[in-house]
Amino acid sequence: MKIYISGLYCGTNPQPGVGIARSLRDGYPEATLVGVEYSNRSSGLHWKDFDELWLQRPWDELSLKEYGARIKEILDSGALWVSGSDLESLWLSDVFPEGHPNLLTPPNGALKQITKPAVPAHEGLPLHIPTFISTDCSDWELHAFCRRYDWRVWLKGPYYDASRVHNWSDFEAVRDALSRVWATDRLFLQAHVTGYEESIVLSAYKGELAGCVRMRKREITPEGKTWAGDVTEPPEEFSTKLREIVKRLNWTGGAELEMVRDAEGKLWLLEWNPRFPAWIHGATIAGRNMPALLVEAATGTPARAPEPHSEEFTRVVLEVPVRSQLPLPPLPEPFAGAVGHSLKHPSGLPALAERLHKMKPEILEGHANGNGNGHSNGNGNGNGHAKAQVSCVPEVPASFLQDLSQYRFADVATPAWLFLDSTASETFVRAEKLADTLTTPGVAVTNAYSIKTNPDARLIKLALEHGFLAEAISLLEVQKALEVGFRPDQVILNGPGKWWPEGLMPKEQLHAVFCDSIADLKRVVGALGRGELSAKTVGVRLRTPHIGSRFGIPVHTPEHFETLVEAVGTLPEDCAFGIHFHMASSNVGVRQWWHLYESMLRWCRSVESLTGRRVETLDVGGGWFPDDWHTDSGERFASAVAAAREHLPHLKQILSEPGKAIAQPSMALAMRLLEIQEMDDDEVEAVVDGSIAELPMHAFQPHRILGRDAETGEWLPLKRGKTRLMGRLCMEHDVVAWNVELPEGVSAGDVLIFCDAGAYDRSMSYVFGRG
Amino acid sequence: MSLAVGKRAIEINEADFVDAEGALETWQHWPASTLSHHGQACCDIAREWILSMDYSQLGGGNVLAGPRWVRHKYKWGPSRWPIHWCEAVRRKTLDCGALAAIAHQVFSNRGVRSLPAQFIQQFSEDATRDWSDRWKGETCAPNWIREDLIYHEGCAVVTGGQSGNEIKVWDASAGWWVNPRQYGGYGGLLAIRLFDPQAAPDATFNWDTHTLSPNVWQKLKRARKELA
Repeated sequence: MKIYISGLYCGTNPQPGVGIARSLRDGYPEATLVGVEYSNRSSGLHWKDFDELWLQRPWDELSLKEYGARIKEILDSGALWVSGSDLESLWLSDVFPEGHPNLLTPPNGALKQITKPAVPAHEGLPLHIPTFISTDCSDWELHAFCRRYDWRVWLKGPYYDASRVHNWSDFEAVRDALSRVWATDRLFLQAHVTGYEESIVLSAYKGELAGCVRMRKREITPEGKTWAGDVTEPPEEFSTKLREIVKRLNWTGGAELEMVRDAEGKLWLLEWNPRFPAWIHGATIAGRNMPALLVEAATGTPARAPEPHSEEFTRVVLEVPVRSQLPLPPLPEPFAGAVGHSLKHPSGLPALAERLHKMKPEILEGHANGNGNGHSNGNGNGNGHAKAQVSCVPEVPASFLQDLSQYRFADVATPAWLFLDSTASETFVRAEKLADTLTTPGVAVTNAYSIKTNPDARLIKLALEHGFLAEAISLLEVQKALEVGFRPDQVILNGPGKWWPEGLMPKEQLHAVFCDSIADLKRVVGALGRGELSAKTVGVRLRTPHIGSRFGIPVHTPEHFETLVEAVGTLPEDCAFGIHFHMASSNVGVRQWWHLYESMLRWCRSVESLTGRRVETLDVGGGWFPDDWHTDSGERFASAVAAAREHLPHLKQILSEPGKAIAQPSMALAMRLLEIQEMDDDEVEAVVDGSIAELPMHAFQPHRILGRDAETGEWLPLKRGKTRLMGRLCMEHDVVAWNVELPEGVSAGDVLIFCDAGAYDRSMSYVFGRG
Repeated sequence: MSLAVGKRAIEINEADFVDAEGALETWQHWPASTLSHHGQACCDIAREWILSMDYSQLGGGNVLAGPRWVRHKYKWGPSRWPIHWCEAVRRKTLDCGALAAIAHQVFSNRGVRSLPAQFIQQFSEDATRDWSDRWKGETCAPNWIREDLIYHEGCAVVTGGQSGNEIKVWDASAGWWVNPRQYGGYGGLLAIRLFDPQAAPDATFNWDTHTLSPNVWQKLKRARKELA
């Protein structure tokens, strides 16, 4: 018996070839094991269980046609082939569309059923699919996905590679890198599932399940790969369903279902790999030789019964002698100043991926197609394979277009801020209505406009007209609010710099003052006592205890908390007491913000019960992305008000400060194309007269960009493409958009509109490069 | 420590050599640990801090997630008893009883049904000698050590499951869920006792394949070392 085994890479993220060989040596001591590899850098070549080696040139050099023919000869001669590589299996399924009795890899139809991330084959198993979204979607939607899942998301390649992304600039960098490596833009974002990883491994031949085992990871590498595990029988109900699925797929070969078990015990399927895992010999140690079961099923030759040693296995690092005919190749020269030698994928798997895409573009169709969510559909299955509508351009509100129609762009000197009049008005009206709706007989909900978000007098005036209070972080901001028409008792004063600049504190009573530190609280108490400050409500800002923040009074140690409790006791009794907390939901994510809200209610309740000071005012908010705030504005806010009342029975007012949710849509930035240069591979570099000086939030959020249709003059959102929009500044990082497609027929002098620029883009913009 | 060297494996302290009965007798009447309260603001503040901090630390996670942050904040080590809440939160080190008592409180505060749990675990005489010296060095009684066996505490949380009485067992000193598949040996869990004062006489809890009756010490059946 001769068995060819591929996938001999044995680095920190190893392929399974060596494990398969060790198990087959146990099961078939007399078999001739042939190691197949595509790089002499793969250390598994030197493993002693291989009797022969078949070393091919890397995938980028290999003649696939001739190689396929040689494999056919081998299979026809009676030898078996066990693949240790997903992409090799994919390619072989194309070379042998009808299969081959000796080819122990899955058929093409089965592989289509296990494409990531939806993995349609899982239907019937008690598994959920973590929510995902294709990167075919617009950046606007991708950013929304990341916020929705608290920036606990993974960006994954079509076959291999996954990287956790924590913010928008991470995402853009990883997307660019993965797209280049795997020669496709078809990646997907997937929500992280916290839990413990486990796998089911199966072995099957022509639709008959030969065996399956369950492995729980007990030690993992920094890359999340198995270092130790325990091996047990899968639950009977799981095996029964799996048997049916294997039959339906006509599966041949090994497979691994990689899963996460969450705190409630629910299983989430991450991947269904079309091969044995690298730890497969661990199962053999436990008495279940899965590769031997596969060969036994294919040949009818009984394998030697495995000798069980332990349910648990672990790895060790071993040094082995290098084969004399395969001396180690030199390390490539490091690039100047670089660390390491860039040796990932030595066999050139990315090149094989690229070649497969060119030969058969349809193979990518199953990858990242559509959106999905992991909600149960009643029978325990995720419905992540739902082919929802994929929109590659963002939706643009009609009010944006209406407001833009008021401008004559021929007369606009760019770059120029465009105030979107009706959009701004609508936003304030909506906020006012929401506050009215949420107000109950016991608790008034009042909006507050954060002046720092955009101190444009038109917005402050709209705030005044729509029943907002003005929230200021300095006395200059207080003065600005008063100038626009706010009364002092409509002003909330916050932040660490509330006394700056000296001498501008109003003598009249303010609506509320929140202390940002114990020192600030002492100063406020002193000023109140001396009559230098008057406020209806005086309170404290709490620092979020488990999310990094520089603001507010810390509570992260018992000592700090006790200090806070003592300090609150010094606040004058003739002022109402309030508590304030702010955290940017766009940074921490929507779900996490709401959890933070619930947790802060508990802190407030604790402060109230320990100090005896009734919490009458709660000031919450900060950093809401407009879509999240407006989308969530119904039941979620109503239940938040109810929860506040439940925790704080003396509560009279909730101050809601939506931050950029109000200001961001109110302005856009117009810029002109200065130059368009076509580069290699369809890439375009265009220079605009705007810059990151006018768009400082470009690294934190996407902006919807509009270009004019050359024929109709209609403003249309730009699709994703291969154009880099570079700002006018002579600064390397002045790139305002990395991956857009300019409208057909566009030329220098044409205007582009960057929407969603009315918040910190506007207020934090700076003068640069203007002489 | 006894070593049995065979061709296939080296096994440390197989069940036959462990004086589990003696250990059960020694710790038969030990109650589960609880933190004391001065009945004053000092302990109120400490308790509120623990409970509020725990909810913050959940970070939107599931209430059945283990409160590993507690162990991250407090090292495991000798503690003199009784311990009041206000003392516990300020200490740098807490023993298993204090850590388990805190874990029990935070699970209960999250709305999760939690039961105090006691364990008898096997280690080695080298390990227990070291712990014994450390406890004596801090004038704490090492009475939780008996040769190579130790008394330990944690808590069990009722997860419900199909039977409604499935549990997970949290080792608050280690910051992990105890593996219900036990093989003996170093770190092996030999016996467990759950406290449920309200339990009906025939009440049981399911911990993976184990059926546990509350309020009595129960030796754990070992998992097979290999698949059939």
